[in-house]
Amino acid sequence: MGNSAVLLVEDNDINRDMLTRRLKRAGLTVINAADGVSALEMMRENQPGVVLMDMTLPILDGWEATQKAKEDPAISEIPIIALTAHAMAADKERAMTAGCSEYETKPIDFPVLLAKIYQFLEGSDV
Amino acid sequence: MITARLGLRARLYLASASILMLFAFNVATHLWGSYARSESVMAYRIATEATGLVRGIQQGLATEHQRVQVLAALRETNAPIRATQRDQANAELASISDQLRALGGLSDAQTETAFREFYKAASDLLDEWVQFYRNYNNSRSPTRLSANAYDTAIDSLRTLADQQNAVALERSTVIDNTIQLTDRITIIAFVSSITITLVLILTLIRTTNASLFRLRVGVERFGAGDLTHRIDENRDAGEIANLAQTFNEMSASLQTAMSDLNEARADAEAANEAKSMFLANVSHELRTPLNAIIGYSEMLQDELGDGESIDRDQFHHDLTTIIFSGRQLLALINDILDLSKIETGKMSVSVEPFNAAGLVVQVCDALSPLLAQNNNKLELDISGAQDSEVESDPAKVQQILTNLFSNACKFTKNGVITVAADIRDDYLHLSVADSGIGMTEEQQAKVFQAFVQADSKTSVNYGGTGLGLAIVSNFCDMLGGSVELSSTPGEGSRFDVSLPIAPM
Repeated sequence: MGNSAVLLVEDNDINRDMLTRRLKRAGLTVINAADGVSALEMMRENQPGVVLMDMTLPILDGWEATQKAKEDPAISEIPIIALTAHAMAADKERAMTAGCSEYETKPIDFPVLLAKIYQFLEGSDV
Repeated sequence: MITARLGLRARLYLASASILMLFAFNVATHLWGSYARSESVMAYRIATEATGLVRGIQQGLATEHQRVQVLAALRETNAPIRATQRDQANAELASISDQLRALGGLSDAQTETAFREFYKAASDLLDEWVQFYRNYNNSRSPTRLSANAYDTAIDSLRTLADQQNAVALERSTVIDNTIQLTDRITIIAFVSSITITLVLILTLIRTTNASLFRLRVGVERFGAGDLTHRIDENRDAGEIANLAQTFNEMSASLQTAMSDLNEARADAEAANEAKSMFLANVSHELRTPLNAIIGYSEMLQDELGDGESIDRDQFHHDLTTIIFSGRQLLALINDILDLSKIETGKMSVSVEPFNAAGLVVQVCDALSPLLAQNNNKLELDISGAQDSEVESDPAKVQQILTNLFSNACKFTKNGVITVAADIRDDYLHLSVADSGIGMTEEQQAKVFQAFVQADSKTSVNYGGTGLGLAIVSNFCDMLGGSVELSSTPGEGSRFDVSLPIAPM
């Protein structure tokens, strides 16, 4: 799959379905995970170009998953964009501290999100 | 220190009284000394006067004696004396007699005997001399002069003078001693009263200073924030103890007020914190369904706009998702409003009689589509509540039942939901039991809190706002009842509601 794939980590079925379809329509390769642990596994296995990470996740939440990803040299370079319905300034700070490169608040402004994804994908070798 | 146990006014009174007493004592000793001095002067004057008189009498007697002796010798020649000569002699004798009486006035008890003796001798002598002059010219019966009358008078006069001198000396010694004594007493009293006054004043200043110092230290410590500090009231008495007591009372009420204030501030901060949490939660909960609504709508708009053929089934499904999310948003807003009303105390209870069994049936009927969705069966046991009415708020009882019943429907698949109503012991007992997924004890512990669902995936997979059970719990409280939960993971959950059948 290589570096052009986007890993979408989202436990809400409806929102995962919606965002996956929209990203695919935009021409991106999308892979999915529904919790923090499987997200880390997918990152190691597939080395996606960018990760869209919901923060409220079962088993291992988005903040912890991001921290663990940054501690693992095999996947620490993969940029992570936090996607969350927590809209307070402190929430953004918390995500950035955990190691996220970008932060988007739900409801998602799709063109803005798309621009950020492309920015990271172009930053790599695509 | 004894003054430390006295009040300030008592100390001042005591000091003033002591000083006045010492002053009075000084004045008294001074007066005593002055009296002794005037006595001394008086005694000296008397002694001087008496000495003068003695000398005068002695001289007068000697002169007259000489003259009488001369006349007695001359009478042998029969020369008569003239009348003037005789009158002069009589006058001189009368003068001596006057001096004798004056001397008598100066004699006292101690010299009285000696004086009487002398007076008698002198009077006899003078009488003899008067006779002598009277009969001088009568040659037939001249008065014969006694041989030793003069010597006797002079001797007794000397005795008297000696005695008078001795008395004067004795008296002056006594007076001198008295003067010395009063002088000494005056000096001692003066020095000791100055000393005592100084000691009293210094003690007064020291003890009062110590009392004031304790007060100052107390006020400073309290002012520096040590609100538990109290001044020792027992170390003083009177005004200063009163002041300390008043200060302690003020400290106590200030401490109480401060602790009340701190409590109120902590409460206000907690309430503010809760409000912020509530707002953050509301924001979070509203954004989740809005994300789906906006996302799907934009996607469908794109699909309509790109000219490709539309998958009608997919399109229908997506629209259904939008509607589902919209309804979820509405339910969420309603629940948030209810919860907000409960929290601000604006949710009112309107009590009226109604039939609980009828209400249960009504709710179950209304939610039958939800029951059917997961292929669940309903078992209803309302026999215990059928025949009597209860007095409570039917709208709230309905919402309690609706929330519990819809939860049971959501979390149970191909199972049985049992709803029961019973009236016993003045309580309406409602229970909703399911054979669904159940909850762990950890989940049970927090499931009645607002915005908490047993699992964060719950709202996606089962819908709901995470506010339903919080509302149930609050409504039960408002109606004077309670709700209890028992559950086993994988086997199901059971909610037991107890509500009083008449207002409390």
